Amino acid sequence: MSTIVEVDRAGSFVTDGKIAAINLESARRRAWARFAQEPRRVGVAEDIVATERLGAQFFGDLDALDRLDTLASQFSQADRSSRADLVAADVASTVHRFADARDCLAHAARKGAPREAVERQLLTLDQACGVGLDSVLAARRRIALASGRIEDLVPLGAVLADLGCFAEADATYRRAFRTYDGISPFPLAWVCFQLGVLWGEAVPEPNANLAALWYRRAIDCLPGYVKARVHLAEVYASRGRTDDAETLLLPALSSHDPEARWRFADVLIAQKRVVDAETQRDAARRGFDELLERHLLAFADHAADFYAGIGNDCRRALALARANAENRPTRRALEQLAAVAGKAGGTEVPCEPRPDVDVQRDRTRSL
Amino acid sequence: MSDHVDGPRSIGEPAGDVTDLFAFTSPQNPAHTVLAMCVFPSAGESAMFSNVIDHSIVVRRVTVAGVGNAAKFQPADDEIRFSFRFETLTRDAAGNEIQRGVCALPGGRELSFTVNDANGASTPERDIRVYAGLRSDPFYLAWIASELKKVPNLLQHDNVLCLVVEFDTLCLLDPAEGSLFGVIAETVPARQPKGNVGHPVARIDWVGRPEQTNVRLNNPALLAKDDLRDLWNQQTPFAIAKELQPLFLQRLKDSLVDWDMRDGESDWTPEALAASANLFLDDFLLFDVARPITDDSHLEIEKSTLGGRPYQTGGGRTVNANVIDILLTWLVNHDREFLQGGATGATKPGMDVFPYFATPNTELQIAAESVELSASPDTVWSSIGSFNLDWHPLVASVTLTGTGVGQLRTIRTRDGKEIVERLEAIDDAKRFYRYTKVAGFPATHYTGTLEVRASGAGCVADWRVQFLADNQPDILVRGRITTLLKTGLGSLKLRFAAAA
Repeated sequence: MSTIVEVDRAGSFVTDGKIAAINLESARRRAWARFAQEPRRVGVAEDIVATERLGAQFFGDLDALDRLDTLASQFSQADRSSRADLVAADVASTVHRFADARDCLAHAARKGAPREAVERQLLTLDQACGVGLDSVLAARRRIALASGRIEDLVPLGAVLADLGCFAEADATYRRAFRTYDGISPFPLAWVCFQLGVLWGEAVPEPNANLAALWYRRAIDCLPGYVKARVHLAEVYASRGRTDDAETLLLPALSSHDPEARWRFADVLIAQKRVVDAETQRDAARRGFDELLERHLLAFADHAADFYAGIGNDCRRALALARANAENRPTRRALEQLAAVAGKAGGTEVPCEPRPDVDVQRDRTRSL
Repeated sequence: MSDHVDGPRSIGEPAGDVTDLFAFTSPQNPAHTVLAMCVFPSAGESAMFSNVIDHSIVVRRVTVAGVGNAAKFQPADDEIRFSFRFETLTRDAAGNEIQRGVCALPGGRELSFTVNDANGASTPERDIRVYAGLRSDPFYLAWIASELKKVPNLLQHDNVLCLVVEFDTLCLLDPAEGSLFGVIAETVPARQPKGNVGHPVARIDWVGRPEQTNVRLNNPALLAKDDLRDLWNQQTPFAIAKELQPLFLQRLKDSLVDWDMRDGESDWTPEALAASANLFLDDFLLFDVARPITDDSHLEIEKSTLGGRPYQTGGGRTVNANVIDILLTWLVNHDREFLQGGATGATKPGMDVFPYFATPNTELQIAAESVELSASPDTVWSSIGSFNLDWHPLVASVTLTGTGVGQLRTIRTRDGKEIVERLEAIDDAKRFYRYTKVAGFPATHYTGTLEVRASGAGCVADWRVQFLADNQPDILVRGRITTLLKTGLGSLKLRFAAAA
């Protein structure tokens, strides 16, 4: 069981979340300006990937994915070295084009990219696709032991959770707190969110109270954390606290994440505000449509759930679930496909995961 | 770069990353000394200070404890500390988001100020004045150092967050007791975690002389060497851990040997090089308030002392000092021949008045294109002078709302984008109109002008847009605008034939 008191103090020694958000945006924009000036300069393109990804991960700035595609394209024109392939792999991985990412890594390796850089990205890909999770776990343990850094401990916690080792996952996340020696709120908010997912969704018998506490603390660290707001709102809504859920979701609606509007529509339906709910549902649908047009694989699983439910388009849901399962045939993806197929009245009976795919719970929502 | 982005920890929190430190005589008042530090490399226009960091500038009196190859500067134990701390954001009376801070001064006084207030704040006695806010980055680096290749300033148009303190030299430093000082700047967590949450961190970053970390300790040419920068950044200034001194000293020696050979010539004797490494190990910026501190005096105290001569200047570092070229010249050829990089100044020079650092780089950007055509200006204007833009090949459709000045055009481009613009002025006689953006383009302060001028037997069509990119990189916004302008004017060439 997690010790909540630990995190009660966590927010007091990291930079205020609002300032951190402003400074992230500031750093992101300047990174692009530096890229314009000297695209090949070591670290500049990589900085852009890091800042854009943080914006997408925490603030639902999904336009970041388009900008990352632009970066990969421009960088590959400016730089023919393995760096461009590594950046392209990172971008492809971010938008769940895992096969493309592997191709890019193969190119990078052929051009002499540092082995460690290639292996690190391959590890992330294997973890996301549920491939060889025992090997992934061993590698994650090795890396986390060597560095002890939060950015290595959290992925270790995630793979432990994927494999159902929940107590150890919890212990690993908490260790991340003990070893965190920075003042940025992003890593702490990330750990809180992961613990919320762990206790709210991953464990066989979810503990909604505990999950809510962790999500709450993620938001305390970073008030603009869209996914944390969405998940906490879901917890509140499931317990009839729809006003609290609404309060949480309202600030998240300005993000480009359609899930915020989808969950807001759910809350409005529970409040019997049908017309408003339809407006939000339609906005969510438009948001998913736009995203799927550009980044199908990145949003296929979430969109499948949306269309299978409030989105009311089971055929589309089935196509999306199928695309997702083909892209990463994890247990969770196959379960989703089966569920959606059932709703669609189809006969699709998913098989067991591929032999090289391990039993893995959904980790997409924890990313 | 000077001390920009100098280790994983400071990269993780750029607001804690100390980029530069300055010590100079006030150009406005020679009886005053100015000390300044900068944080947050490549800070954007909205950058703010972290509310959990203490930003300190610390001065100690120094004595010359050895000369020549035994050169040594010994700092005293007592220190004079200026410590800046910042609050979370609040709103001013007009509803604008602002940040306030407090500077703890020597002697227990405090000075409150508002970030980005160019007037700063002064003590009632007027002996100390402070400023904190966004400024143009005064540092410039115009080399690809690994190849000693000249390039334009790599920090052009960059901004940093500056902290400036100006004080009465006699009152605070008492130069009669000795006029030579060492100064450092550091960022330290203001609050340490308690219990078993987090890891106590002594220090995020600190700086003495420019380029201790990125040039001397982390010389990229020394392949397969560990990155010592975070270890260095966590050392206590003026008191590097004794057990780590051999490690740092060896790295400095290895690095200086490499720098000496960058031009293929050896200009340093092993003894002189070891003495230089030893001196750099004691990393504080030297300045002497009894001697002139100029744009060229940086490192003169160290160099003269290593050369066995009494120093002549106040050393220090002015806002405009060309520190990178001074340093590279020293390291690479031992001052045999000045190595001038590809730039002779930062984006903007420093100012002669408080707060001495130039205003941030927020100038409007301009995209401009023109084409010379053999047709008469009236012929061309009759085709393109209406506000509907229907002649443009990238425009799929245009909807006009209203008439005359104030008219809106809603443009749908062939790639599916929608842009709304308002007509602000039009003069058919002068063949000119001006418009502003209402929506659809990631830019602010967006004004476009389209004009056709007579030129010889034909005319020139001129289209320019000034803008500030908003929430998109300059390059992308400029790219979109330039494409629009070029494609439009390019189509006129086909239609009216370009002038020979």
